[in-house]
Amino acid sequence: MILDLHTHSIKSDDGRAKVQNYCQWIKTRDIPIDGFVLTEHRQFDNQSDYNELAREFGITILKGSEVETEYGHVLVFGVTEALQQAFDFSDIHLPLAKVVEDCEKHGAVAVPCHPGRPRVGMHAHLETFGVPDGVRIVEVYNGGSRDSEDEIAQAMAEELGYLGIGGSDAHIVSHVGRCATRFPTDIHNESELVEALRAGDFEAITNRQ
Amino acid sequence: MAVSSIRDVEFGAELPVFEPDTGLANVKRFVVAAGWNGPRFTDHEAARKEGLPGALVPGILSQGYLAAMIHRWAPEALIQNVDTVFRAPLIVDEPCSISGVVTDIDEEAGRVEIDLTITNAKGETRVFGTAEVKLPA
Repeated sequence: MILDLHTHSIKSDDGRAKVQNYCQWIKTRDIPIDGFVLTEHRQFDNQSDYNELAREFGITILKGSEVETEYGHVLVFGVTEALQQAFDFSDIHLPLAKVVEDCEKHGAVAVPCHPGRPRVGMHAHLETFGVPDGVRIVEVYNGGSRDSEDEIAQAMAEELGYLGIGGSDAHIVSHVGRCATRFPTDIHNESELVEALRAGDFEAITNRQ
Repeated sequence: MAVSSIRDVEFGAELPVFEPDTGLANVKRFVVAAGWNGPRFTDHEAARKEGLPGALVPGILSQGYLAAMIHRWAPEALIQNVDTVFRAPLIVDEPCSISGVVTDIDEEAGRVEIDLTITNAKGETRVFGTAEVKLPA
C-alpha cells in the first residue's frame, strides 16, 4: 500500500486544497497512491470526518499533524486525545525531546520532516543542539524540496541510522502524491499506521519527474 | 484552443504552459511602471550585496504572470482572486514556467478553481497557489 504521509488541506493556514478535490485528482489522474495523511500545521483536526469521502473514492484518508520544534517541523502520526493534552500543538517552540517522549508514551510516532531544509529542517539545527534522542524516522523525500534538500536529508538519515519516509507536503490539489511511502501491508487507520512505522518495514518513494 | 464557456472545462484540464519573460529589460519596465524601481529588482550585483541570490522578480509581477496565463487560456475569464504562496524567489534572467490545472468546478456559479505552479529550470516549485475564476455560461 502506498500512502502520501504529508499533505495539507484548507484547514492549514497556507493550505489551499479541499480534501474532496484531492480524492478527485487522485482518481482522475491515476496518481499512484492508495491514500494520504492530512498533517495540518500546528493543530489536529478533530472536527472533520472523511470516512464517507474515503468510502466514495476508495481512498484511505488519515489524520496527523505537523508541529514545530527547535529542530524544525515534525510530523506526528497517531494523534490521540491524551497526546493533545500532553503538549500544545499550536506552540511554535516545542522541545523536540518532549514531542518524541510524549508520542512514545501515547502510542504515536514523531517524524522530523523536510530535515534538509534551512531553518525549518532538523539538519540545520544539529550543530547547535546536537543529535536528538529518540528520533528513528525522518522524511527523506519531500515533494516541496528544492536544491539539495532531499540529498541532505538522505545523507543525514544514512549517517545517523534513521529510516526514511516520503510525503508530498502538498498544499494544493495537483501536488498530492509527488512523494509517498510504500508499506507491505494495508493500513486502514491511524493505529495501524503507527504500528507499521514502528515496525520499520516501509520505503520512501518519489513520483516526481 | 481558448476556453470561452464553463461548459468547455473539465476537472483536471491543463492550461497551456506559459513561459513568462523574466528578462532584466522586462522586469525593469514593470518596476518603473509600478513605482517599485529599486536595485534589488534591477541589478544582480546590488541584489547579491543584499544577500540575495540575484535580482528578484517582484511578487506582484509573478502574480501578473499568473493572471496573464489564465487570460491566454480563457480571455473572457473574470479572475476573482489569485492566492499565492511564495516558497522561494524567482530570479531575474532565470527561465521559469507556469503550469495550471483545473481542480474544482462549480457549474451553477460559473466558477472554476485552478492550481498554479511556477517552477524553475530545475523543476523546483518557487511559487504556487490557486486562482478562482468566473467563466461565462
